[in-house]
Amino acid sequence: MIDSLYIAWKYICFNKARTVTLIACITLIGFLPVSLELLLDESEQQLMSRAATTPLVVGVRGSSLDLVMNTLYFGDEVPELITMAASDRVMETDLALPIPVYVRFRARGHPIVGTTLDYFEFRGLKVAEGQQMAVLGDCVVGAGAAEKLGLKPGDELVSSPENMFDLAGVYPLKMKVTGVLQKSHTSDDLAVFVDLKTTWVIQGLGHGHQDVTVLKDPTLVLKRTEDNVAATAKLYHYMEITDENIDSFHFHGHMTGYPVTAVIAAPYDAKSGAILQGRYLSKEERHQIVEPEEVIDGLLQNIFRIKNVLDAVISVVALATVMAIVLVFALSIRLRQREMETVFKLGCSRMTMARLVASEILMIVVASGFLCTGMVLLVDQFSNNLVRTLFIR
Amino acid sequence: MSMIHIESLIFHYPSGEFRLEIPEFTVARGEKMAVIGPSGSGKTTLLNLISGITTPVKGTLNVDNIKVNKLGDTERRVFRISNIGFVFQDFELLDYLNVLDNILHPYRITSALKMDRVVRQRATTLAKEMGIGDKLRRMANKLSQGEKQRAAICRALLPQPKLILADEATGNLDPDNKGLILDSLFRAVEEHDATLLAVTHDHELLKRFDRVVDFGKFQGMDAS
Amino acid sequence: MECRSDELKRERFHMQNRVHICFAKRFILFGVFWFVITFLPVIAGAGGDNSGKITIYVVNYPLKYFAERIAGDHAEVVFPAPPDCDPAYWIPDVKTIGAYQKADLILLNGANYAKWVRKASLPRSRMVDTSAKFKDRYITAEEALTHSHGAKGAHAHESLAFTTWLDFDFAAKQAQAITKALSRKKPNLHGMFQENYAALEKDLMALDGEIKAVVSKNPTLPLLASHPVYDYLSRRYGLNMKSVHWEPDEVPNDGQWIQLENILKSHPAKWMIWEGNPMKTSVDGLKSLGVASLVFDPCGNVPGYGDFLTVMQQNVDNLKPAFR
Repeated sequence: MIDSLYIAWKYICFNKARTVTLIACITLIGFLPVSLELLLDESEQQLMSRAATTPLVVGVRGSSLDLVMNTLYFGDEVPELITMAASDRVMETDLALPIPVYVRFRARGHPIVGTTLDYFEFRGLKVAEGQQMAVLGDCVVGAGAAEKLGLKPGDELVSSPENMFDLAGVYPLKMKVTGVLQKSHTSDDLAVFVDLKTTWVIQGLGHGHQDVTVLKDPTLVLKRTEDNVAATAKLYHYMEITDENIDSFHFHGHMTGYPVTAVIAAPYDAKSGAILQGRYLSKEERHQIVEPEEVIDGLLQNIFRIKNVLDAVISVVALATVMAIVLVFALSIRLRQREMETVFKLGCSRMTMARLVASEILMIVVASGFLCTGMVLLVDQFSNNLVRTLFIR
Repeated sequence: MSMIHIESLIFHYPSGEFRLEIPEFTVARGEKMAVIGPSGSGKTTLLNLISGITTPVKGTLNVDNIKVNKLGDTERRVFRISNIGFVFQDFELLDYLNVLDNILHPYRITSALKMDRVVRQRATTLAKEMGIGDKLRRMANKLSQGEKQRAAICRALLPQPKLILADEATGNLDPDNKGLILDSLFRAVEEHDATLLAVTHDHELLKRFDRVVDFGKFQGMDAS
Repeated sequence: MECRSDELKRERFHMQNRVHICFAKRFILFGVFWFVITFLPVIAGAGGDNSGKITIYVVNYPLKYFAERIAGDHAEVVFPAPPDCDPAYWIPDVKTIGAYQKADLILLNGANYAKWVRKASLPRSRMVDTSAKFKDRYITAEEALTHSHGAKGAHAHESLAFTTWLDFDFAAKQAQAITKALSRKKPNLHGMFQENYAALEKDLMALDGEIKAVVSKNPTLPLLASHPVYDYLSRRYGLNMKSVHWEPDEVPNDGQWIQLENILKSHPAKWMIWEGNPMKTSVDGLKSLGVASLVFDPCGNVPGYGDFLTVMQQNVDNLKPAFR
């Protein structure tokens, strides 16, 4: 046996290109479906666990998938906005705790999540370094975002304009990093969290500037009446909230009408949840209330349908690859016909050759197996991050 | 006692295309015999019969007092690998093995031969005797023609066979090498007390043999 | 007849029994002790979430008083503003905001009281706007100058009157909101909270009735207020009041005196209501204009003496001479 393996090993080493090709093919046949299965399982787990921990989401009527993806995974697609009135409405029902979220802006590629402190308690997020945000302009950063951006408490982070030519409103705001969160292995790791009011400042609904009522420069005052002073666009708005200017920051209009992208509703019990959902059933209702678990389940069903097709394709490819490998070995045996004759003439049975080829196949398959196992283990080890990087951001 | 004794031997293929009849054929122990004859006269068939690769339809075939044609398949193979060394025209070395591994090859492909330290040492010694001692680690496909045939001779001699069958051993060598290789073969055969039966087309080398048999006439002739 | 050896055997037997019983007793006692030590806290706590006090952070003294009256020993009520500041304008530092964030309940006055709240991050689930129920009845502050941006921009809203507790009916409603929030936190103590609230409400309504009685003697009496902080008091009890912007610890300047004189021309008030004890110079100056002074302490911060009720009672007593 050992001698057969030795000769097979020598043959394999001599025909490196052929051996490497065979190992690569066999490894891929094993690796692709298994790793795909692993990644999909991990995706399912991540998507579902996040969805399972979010009981209800209220948003504008329309695509429930966009709503859930933006609210839970901070996806790029920003759903149509609703207002804080939606949150107040949930609060007034006394059936659920409303947690408004505003996920629209970005800072250096990472989503800025405007929300309330209740979000952190709801998600079980704790500050690992520094402290929780306290005032306007403060932000706490997810562990992943802090690592990628090299941020720590005390650093500054500027919000990004929505587009290059955003001349009319969304100002870059320099935010102060007060804390870095513990790793949660969710989308929260890559997010920058600010108070809801800070996102409104970013949008321009709130701002700070000199006291308009005491301005002397006439070019800054558009119109002055007994009870109001209208300022011109020339008036400089602060782009950073500091201890010195925070008092000047204020909001115009009623906060009830201020925008959010969604309201997470955490019902106090199952019955309350059902009653709350019932309040959004009317046809005239402009809002919708969705169960993220259902939405994600629907998404996964579609993914699995696609996966079935992929599995079929991979099976066909695998079959073709196996046939090709069999052909390679068959041709190899034919090429070694003379060797077989020599071996027979020397005094060995014809089975000797079969044993040698079998040893070769065994070694190639074992090598492929080890390689495949190693790669699968690697994928398994990093599947959490891979899935988040490739599929969920 | 003769090494090979054939009497009233008849061989033909099942299809009946070829027929060989040998009324009598003897090779003495330690004799170096050459077999010549036209193509298709049955020279290679003779070697196959003697080595047990094929069996005659009829007749007596004794090799080293063993009735080879009476042995079963497995017995003939064991007999062959233990007692007979082959030297081929095309060397039949394996390109994917080095010289030492090629020489040791028979020991690796059958359980009838047991490889140990003594065998490895003997292989190294044989290679040195044949002038290729410094090329043991070289791959077979990197050797010259002469070196290849020397390696093949080492492989044939390693099991210490009693009989060496050489089928056109110098057929693929250049004129300079032919003589050298034959000298090496003869020297090795004499040193190991073996009998040599060589099929050859090379008439210039015939005088070196003890006896030459013309398979076409199938009559014994002295080398002189 | 028992022989000595039998006696000894019997004695030995009884001795052994006593030893065994002694060990058994000790074993049982130990077992009971262990059981009690292990399970008593569990049993004690099995009746509900009774363990620990509720931590309540408030933004002004009236809320502190109300919360303490209602919650009793079941809450630790914290009002971190320094005693010498106006809590409406006090700005806590980051550490104090952090303490607010950790509280079980954060009681807010509403009506934009405590401006810092709008710029701080606080957990909404634990915030209680005690005046939310009557936010449709907030009073816009007089003479407030707002600003806007552009011709059609929305105005900045920072112009609400916020001393809602001076309307004792509103004060009772704020106390009711506190009771509701406490009952949600500790449902098993709802009965006790309700009782305490009822007692507080009775006290507040007594004050409410007393002021009404005092004012009814001269309902149209013109009054001056040193600061526009009595809007809710004025509306509730129908006071004929105009405000200036005088500080009790500052001497009014000439402009302010002129403004006052102009007001007196159309509003011949004989009494000025001060938030705190005014300077003698100011009092004398007012006297020369025929205006007497009385103190009606809004009690936004912790009083130097007494409590909210005693201060308000004193306030009502201070009003009486004006309406005689």
